Amino acid sequence: MSGQDRISASVAVKEGQAVCAACGHDLGPATKPWKDHAHRREIPLALAGGQAYDTGHEGVLLRHFYCPGCAALLDTETAMAGDPALDDILAARG
Amino acid sequence: MDPMTFSIIRHRLFRIVDEAVITLKHVSGSAITNEGHDLMVSLYRADGTLLMGGVGFLHHLTSAAEACKSIIRRFEGDIHEGDIFLLNDPYTAALHTSDIYLVSPIHHEGRLVAWSACFVHVYDIGAVNPGGFAPQAPDIYTEGFSSPGIRLVAGGEMRQDVLDTILNMVRSPEMVTLDLRSMIACNNVARDRMQSLMTKYGAKEVDGACAELVNQSEDLFRARLRELPDGQWQSRQYLDVNGDTARVNLTMTKKDDRLIFDFSGSDPQSPYSINCTKWASLGGLFAPLFPLLCYDITWNEGVLRPVEMIAPEGSIVNCTRPAPVSVATVGAIQSVNNAACSTIGKMLGASEKYRNQSTAVWHANHFAIFKFGRNQKGGDSIGILTETFAGAGGARSFADGVEIGGEIPNPISRMANVETVEAAFPVRYLFRRRAPDSGGPGEYRGGTGGELALVPHKAPDGGINYVISGKGSRHPMSEGLAGGYPGAPNSYVWVKAPEDGANTPVTAAGGLDAISGTQERVSWGVYPLMGRDALYVRWNGGGGHGDPIVRDPEAVRRDVAAGLVTLQSAGDIYGVALRDGAVDETETMAKRKSIRSARLQQEASE
Repeated sequence: MSGQDRISASVAVKEGQAVCAACGHDLGPATKPWKDHAHRREIPLALAGGQAYDTGHEGVLLRHFYCPGCAALLDTETAMAGDPALDDILAARG
Repeated sequence: MDPMTFSIIRHRLFRIVDEAVITLKHVSGSAITNEGHDLMVSLYRADGTLLMGGVGFLHHLTSAAEACKSIIRRFEGDIHEGDIFLLNDPYTAALHTSDIYLVSPIHHEGRLVAWSACFVHVYDIGAVNPGGFAPQAPDIYTEGFSSPGIRLVAGGEMRQDVLDTILNMVRSPEMVTLDLRSMIACNNVARDRMQSLMTKYGAKEVDGACAELVNQSEDLFRARLRELPDGQWQSRQYLDVNGDTARVNLTMTKKDDRLIFDFSGSDPQSPYSINCTKWASLGGLFAPLFPLLCYDITWNEGVLRPVEMIAPEGSIVNCTRPAPVSVATVGAIQSVNNAACSTIGKMLGASEKYRNQSTAVWHANHFAIFKFGRNQKGGDSIGILTETFAGAGGARSFADGVEIGGEIPNPISRMANVETVEAAFPVRYLFRRRAPDSGGPGEYRGGTGGELALVPHKAPDGGINYVISGKGSRHPMSEGLAGGYPGAPNSYVWVKAPEDGANTPVTAAGGLDAISGTQERVSWGVYPLMGRDALYVRWNGGGGHGDPIVRDPEAVRRDVAAGLVTLQSAGDIYGVALRDGAVDETETMAKRKSIRSARLQQEASE
C-alpha cells in the first residue's frame, strides 16, 4: 500500500488500513472490503427524503454505510434486497 | 518525423473532423441531429482502426471502427474511390438500427489510405414504432431496416435503386433522405480534406504521423494508468422495464497499465429492447473513459490497447440474435456508460494526483419519447423530445454538478428551444424548468435535472401520440460518490383531464400537482396525448458527492431560495433549519447532531 493514502474522499488509508477520513476509525485492511466494518442501514428509497425519491414503487433500497466512530456517511448504494454490497478495494503493493 | 510536421498533421486531423461535423449539421434538417447533437464523425486508418475520434456520442467511436473493418472484410477487393457504404446492423457493428453508419473509403493516388465514418439517428427506420426506438418490438426483425453492409454510393454516384429501396421501408422518406445526404456530404468533406492533406505532405508522411499519433496515445494512456492506484471498483445498474428489473454488474480492475471491465454477473438478455451487443458495450465503456481519463490524449486505437472487456455472451450487455436492441442506446449501453463512469470516478477519487477529477455519475437515464402524428400544418411529424439530451452534471469532489449540465458520453449534447418544438408539433409547453430535489444530495450536490409538461395545441387530429422507452422511473441510476446520494429517478405521468371540463392551467407554478386531472404513470409503449390531457416528464439529476450533512448550510439556503432543493429535503437530508429565509445555526447544529445520533444507533453490517 506504499504511497496510497485513500480509497475515496470519505475513506482514507493509514498504514495499510482503511480508516474513516473524518475521525480515523479503523475499517480493516485496505485490500479487503471496508464496508464489512461499517454500520449499514437500508431504507426504502421512498423514505430517503424529499418527494423526488418517492417513485411509488416498493423494493428499491438506499443503503447507507456509516463510520462506527463518528457517524460520517461514507458511501451510499442503490440496491434491491439481498443484492451484495459493492466492494471497492485497493491492491496490495510491494 | 520532425515534431512540427507531426503537430501540424495532428491539428489538421482535428480540424477535418470539426469541419465534417459542421457540414453534417448544415445539411441535416432534423432536430435530433441539429438540436440534440445525436451524431458522430471520426476518422479511421486504412485497416479500419480508430485514428481520430470526434465529438458527439462517444460510444460510436469504437463501433464505427468495427463497421469500417466489417466493410473491409465484406467488400475486399471491391472498394473503390468515391464509394460510400451503409451499415446499421447491431449484430455486425451498429448500436441500433436507427443509428445508421455511412463509412467512406479515402483514396490517394489510387490507394486506400483511410476511412471516414459518421452517424445520425435517422428520422425513422421502419421499425414497429415510429422514430427508431421500438419498445413493442419482440426481436430484431421488427426493429426496421437493417443492413450488415451495402454500397449506397458507387464511385461518387448515388445508387438510386438502393436508396429507393431503403426509403420504401421508412416513414417520412423525405427526411430520411436528408439524413442520408447530410452524412454523404459529411464524408465527402472529410475525404476531400484528407486528400488535400496527403497531397500537401505526402501519403507516406501522413500515414507515418497517424501511426505515431496512435502510439503516442497508447504511451500517454499507459503512463496515466500507471499513475493511478491499482485496485478493484464495482458498480451496479438496475434497468426497470414494465415491472421487470435487469442488472448490469461491473467490476473494473486496474493493474499497472491495464484496465479490465468485467460485466460477469449481469442479467441474461431481456425480452425487451434494452439489450445491447458486445460492440455496443465496448463503445459504452469507452464513452466515459475517453473524456475522464484521456481528456488530453487523442482518442484513437492507442487508447483501446490497454483495455479489456469481459461481457458474457447471452447477457444484457452481449445479447445474441434475434434479441431486440432498438432501445439499447438509452438502455444497456447507457447503463454501461454509467457503471464505467462510476468505477472510473471511484478510481480517480482514490488517486492523490487525480482526485479532483473524480465525478459522480452524470445524467444516467435518457427518456426516449418520440412524438408522432399530424402536425398543425397538415403534414406528418416524428421527433424526439430533445430534453433527453439536456442532462445534469454529477457532483465533483470540490463542486456541485452543473444544473441541466449535459452528459458524459456526449460532450456537445443539448436540447431544442421550446419554440422549436412548438413550431414542429401541435403542442404547447406548460412549463420547462429545473426540477427541485432531482440532484443527488451530498456535501457537493448533483446538478439538477429538469421537468416539463406538454399539452396538445391546434392539433388537427385532437392531439398526437408518442412512443416512450422510459425505463428508470423505479431505480435511481445516477450513482453518488463517497456518501453522496444518487440523483432522483425519472418520472413520466399522463395527466388525464377532468370530465367536468375544467381548464388545464397554463402556469409553471406548482408543477405537476397544479395540472388538473388524474395522474397515471407511464413508461413503456405507445400512448396518446389528446384533448386536454397533459404529459409530464421529470428527468434525473446527477449523483452527489460526500455526506449531505457536512454541506455548507448557506449553500443549502441558496438552493432552497433558487427552488433547487425543497424545504423538506433541506431539513431531512441536509439537516439544515431555515427560518425567515435564513439559516438558523443553532437549530441546524441540533438537527445535524440528532441525525448523527440516529446513524450510530443502526446495527453494524457484520
